[in-house]
Amino acid sequence: MSQLALKSLSKSYGAFKVFDGLNLDAGSGEIVVIFGGSGTGKTILLRLIAGVEEPTAGTIELDGHDVSDIAPEHRNVGMAFQNFALFPHMSAAENIATPLKAQGKSADAVRAGIDRVAKLLKIDHVLGHAPRELSNGQKQRTALARALAAEPRILLLDDPLRNVDAKLRFEMRLELPRLLRQSGATVLYVTQDYKEAMALADRIAVLADGKFVQVATPEDIYLKPATLGVARLFGDPAINTAKTVIEMKNGMASAKVGGRDIPLPASLAAAAGRGITFGVRPEAVNILSPGSDGLTASVVAVTPLNERTVLLLQSPDGWEFLASLPASSTSIPEPETDVVVDFDPSGTHFFDSQSDERLHG
Amino acid sequence: MAELVLSKVDKIYRSRGKKSVHAVKAFDLTVKAGEIVALLGSSGCGKTSTLRMIAGFEDVTSGTITLGGREIHTLAPSARGVAMAFEAYSLYPPLTIGENIAFALKAAKLPVSEADAKVKDIARMLEISDILGKYPSSVSGGQQQRASLGRALVRSADLYLLDEPMGQLEPQLRAVLRGRIKHYLREHKCTTILVTHDQTEANALADRIAVMEDGMLQQYATPAELKARPANLFTGTFIGEPPMNIFDATPSIASGEVRFDLGNGNVLTYNVSELSDTVTALIAKMPQLVIGIRPHALHVAEGPIRATIMSCQWLGDQTHVAADVGGKTAVSVAHDRVDLSPGSDVSLSVSAADLHLFDPSTGHAIAHGSDMA
Amino acid sequence: MDHTSTFEKALRGVLITLVLIFFLFPILWIFLMSFQTNETILRIPPSLVFTPIFDNYWALVTGELRTAAGSLQLDFMKNLWNSVLLSVCSVALSLLFGVPAAYAFARFKFRLGEDIAFTLLSFRFAPPLLVLLPLSLYFKSLGLTNTYVGLIWVYQLICLPLILWIVRGYFEDISPDIEYAYRISGNSWWKTFLKISLPLARPGIAAAGLLAFIFAWNNFVFALILASADKQPVTVGALAFVTASGIQYGQIAAAIILSITPTLLLALYAQRYLVEGLSMGAVKG
Repeated sequence: MSQLALKSLSKSYGAFKVFDGLNLDAGSGEIVVIFGGSGTGKTILLRLIAGVEEPTAGTIELDGHDVSDIAPEHRNVGMAFQNFALFPHMSAAENIATPLKAQGKSADAVRAGIDRVAKLLKIDHVLGHAPRELSNGQKQRTALARALAAEPRILLLDDPLRNVDAKLRFEMRLELPRLLRQSGATVLYVTQDYKEAMALADRIAVLADGKFVQVATPEDIYLKPATLGVARLFGDPAINTAKTVIEMKNGMASAKVGGRDIPLPASLAAAAGRGITFGVRPEAVNILSPGSDGLTASVVAVTPLNERTVLLLQSPDGWEFLASLPASSTSIPEPETDVVVDFDPSGTHFFDSQSDERLHG
Repeated sequence: MAELVLSKVDKIYRSRGKKSVHAVKAFDLTVKAGEIVALLGSSGCGKTSTLRMIAGFEDVTSGTITLGGREIHTLAPSARGVAMAFEAYSLYPPLTIGENIAFALKAAKLPVSEADAKVKDIARMLEISDILGKYPSSVSGGQQQRASLGRALVRSADLYLLDEPMGQLEPQLRAVLRGRIKHYLREHKCTTILVTHDQTEANALADRIAVMEDGMLQQYATPAELKARPANLFTGTFIGEPPMNIFDATPSIASGEVRFDLGNGNVLTYNVSELSDTVTALIAKMPQLVIGIRPHALHVAEGPIRATIMSCQWLGDQTHVAADVGGKTAVSVAHDRVDLSPGSDVSLSVSAADLHLFDPSTGHAIAHGSDMA
Repeated sequence: MDHTSTFEKALRGVLITLVLIFFLFPILWIFLMSFQTNETILRIPPSLVFTPIFDNYWALVTGELRTAAGSLQLDFMKNLWNSVLLSVCSVALSLLFGVPAAYAFARFKFRLGEDIAFTLLSFRFAPPLLVLLPLSLYFKSLGLTNTYVGLIWVYQLICLPLILWIVRGYFEDISPDIEYAYRISGNSWWKTFLKISLPLARPGIAAAGLLAFIFAWNNFVFALILASADKQPVTVGALAFVTASGIQYGQIAAAIILSITPTLLLALYAQRYLVEGLSMGAVKG
C-alpha cells in the first residue's frame, strides 16, 4: 500500500488550469522529486497535499485514506518552504518546538525532540537566536529541523535549497539524502535544479504543462527521456538538437545531421519520410583523431565548465552544437580549428518532430 | 580596442554617523587591448565598486584609471568611451527591445540601415529576434538580460563593462550563449571586464580572472593557472565546483620518502623524487601543512586514504562521490558511471603531482605538485 | 560628503524656525491664555509677561464659572469623561470587528472584496454633514438620540475604515507561508490567528488603534447634532463658554488645553508607530 497517492488530481483558478488529472504513487520511505520550471504548479501541488488549499477535482490519499476532509493540522505532514517561513517572533528553538507542542508532548519530550533534530542538522549552537540573526544556511536548516521535529510520515520540501548560496547548496546536496533516509519519511521534494533531482531522488516526476510528463528513476529519465522537453531539462549543457527527416539509403535508415548521414536504428526504417528531431548529448560527442571518418566541424569557442570543457562547434551547413570533454583531457582543441566528431549511440535520441515523443531505437 | 590600466585605485565610502568602508584597497590591474577579464568574488569583495569607478558612477578616492593611454577617472561616464550592461538590466521602459538596443547607435548618428543590420545580428546571436518589437515589461527576466547585453555589445566602444551579465539566463541557453558571446568578443577584439560572483561563468568567458576578496586582489591569472596553481587557500577553494578538498597534514621526511599524516591513520607516502628536492626541503621546515586536492584528482582506487562512502550521485555526465575521511567530507568526481553504496568502505588515492600545499598560518601556497608556488 | 555651505545651513535653520513658530504659536498662545484672566487676555497691546492664575482650571474642575454677570454651572469634567468613554469604547468596538475583517480582506479573495473595502474607506472621505440630517431622523425614531450606544455606533464610521485599511496592510505583509507552516505543524486556524497573525500585526493594530482614538476624540459634528449636554464630549463642551454675558476666553483656553493633552501625550509617546501605521496604509492602498 502506498504511503501517498494522488488520484486524478486537478487544480484550477477560475479559467486558469494549473494541472489536470495528476496520478502518482509514492511508497513508504521513498524520495520522489517533483521537477519542473517556475510556474508549473509544484508549490501548489505541495499545498494541496498539506491541506492548506483544496483541489478542484481528484483525491489525495495518505496511507490509503482519503484526506479530503482532513484539516492540515491533522494530516501529520511536515513541510519546509522555499522562503523558510520561520516565525519571526520566536527563537529557533521555539520554531522547531511548534509541531512537538501541537502534539501535546511534555516539556521534556519537546526538549529532547528539539535537541535530536538540532544535532542532526548541526544548528544546536544557534537555537536561542531569533530568525533574523541567522544566516540563510542556518535558516534553511532550522526550517528543515522544524519539518522533521515531530517525525512526520510525509515530508514536503519546497525547493529548500533555492535561496541558499552555491557552496552551501552543494554541501546540502551531499548531506540531504542521508538525512532524509534517516527520517524514514516518504518525501516529496520540489526543485528546478536537475542535478539536485538526480542526486536525491528514488524517482523523479517531471511536471510540465499541467501533467506528469514522465515518472521514472533518474537513470531512466536521463538515458530514456520520454520527450524532447525532458531530455532538454536534464543535462548541462543541454542536449543538442537538429530537425531532420528519416531517409532510406541502401536499405538502411538514416538521417542527415550537420550535412552528414547518421545511421538510425533499424526499427525506425518503417517510419521513413517522418520528420524527427535528432538529439545528442554534448558528452556523447566524441572528438576523433584528425582524418578519421566523421563529421568535420569548426571550433567556434572553448568555454571551461567546472570539471568539463565545453566546445561550441559549427558544422559546414551551419548547425551549431556543443561537445563536452573532461577538463582533464589531454588535448583540448583550439578555437578556429577543425575537428572530426562522431556520436556515441548511448547519448543519442530521436524524437517525433510533431509530438516530441521519443522514438524507441 | 584599448588597454585599461588601474593604478593604486582606492575607494573609501564615508557617511556621517557610520564607520567608513574601505571597499577597494590599492588595486592594480592591467587589461590588455582585446582581452576579456573577469572580476570574481563574493558579495562585498569590492568588484562592483571597482566596476562603477571604471564606468564613472563612483569617484576614485585615490589612484588613476587610464584607457588607451587617456586618463578617464576624472571624466563623466558619457565621455569615457565605455559601454555597460547593468545587473538590473536598466532597459528604457517606453522603448521596445529593438529601440533599446539601437539607442546608442542612434545617438552616434549611425545610418539607419547599418544600425538595423547590427541590431538584427546581435538579436539573432542572443536569440531575441522574436521579441524586438515588444516592450521590456512584457518579456521575461532572461530575455531582458539578453537585451541589456545586446544593447552594450552592439555599440563600438573602447571598453565593455558587463555586470553579472548572465545570471538570469535560462539554463538551457547558457552554454550556447557563452560560446557565442565569447566568439563575438574575440572577433570584434573587445576589451571587456565582466563582474561576477559565479566562478563557473568567469571560467567560461574570461582570458584572465582577477579574484578579489575584502577589497584586495588575491590572484590575477588565466583560468587554467588559477586551477592548477592557486596563490592562496582562498583562491584555491573559491575556484572550482565541486570545491577543492582540504586536509590538515603533518609532514615528515625519512629514508627518501615524504609522508603527509592526515590523521586517523591516513598517511600519504611519496618518493622524494615525485616531489622534487626544493619542495621537499621546504616541507621539511614546516611543522604543519594544509593540503588541497581537487575532486577530479582524488580517485576511488587502491590507495592510502581510508574512507566510508556517504553518497554516490550520478549526474548524467559525471559522478560525485562524497566520502567520510576521519570526520571530514571529501568529494571525488569521476567522469564515468560509478556505483558505490553509502556506508561501504573504500580507499582513495592521489598522485603527488596533484597535491597543492599551503602554509596554514598565512594561507599562501607553498607548492603545487613538484613545482614551487 | 556633506556639500551644504554654512549659509545653506543657517537658512535651513531660519526656515525651520519660522515654520515651527507658524504651527506652534497658536497652541503656545492658548496655553498662556489659560493662565490669564479675561482682562489680561483682552488687553491691548497683548503682553507675554503676566502673573499666572489658576482660576480658570479651578472653575473647570469645580464646575462653577464666575463671571461678571454671576455664577454659571458647568460640567466640563463630565464632558471630559464623555470623551474618554466614547473614544475608548468606539475604538474597542472597531478593533473587535475591524481586525478580523481586515484579516478577511487580506487573506480571502472573495467577490466584490475590493469594492467593499473601498466603499468602507470612502466613509472617511464623505463629509459628515452629508449624513447627519437623515441620521438624526433615524436616531430619533430608534430612540438613540443622546445615548452613548448611539454615539459609539456612529463613531464606527470614523474608526472602522481606519482600522481596516491600516491593519489589512500589515496582514498582507505577513507571508501566507508562515501561517501555513504553523497550521501544518498541527495547529487549528484559530490558534494560528491568535499566535501568529495577531502578534505579527501588533504594530499595525496599535498604530491603527491610536489613530482611531485621536480621530474619535477630535470629532465634533456627530456629537453636536446627535447628543445633548450630558453626553457631549469636550469638543462640543467648549462651546458652553460662549455665554450670554460674553466669551470666557480664559476658560475656553483652559478647556482646550485639558482637551488636547491626552491625545497629544498619546501621539508623542507613540509617534513612531503612527508614522509606520500611516505610511503602511498609504503604500499598500
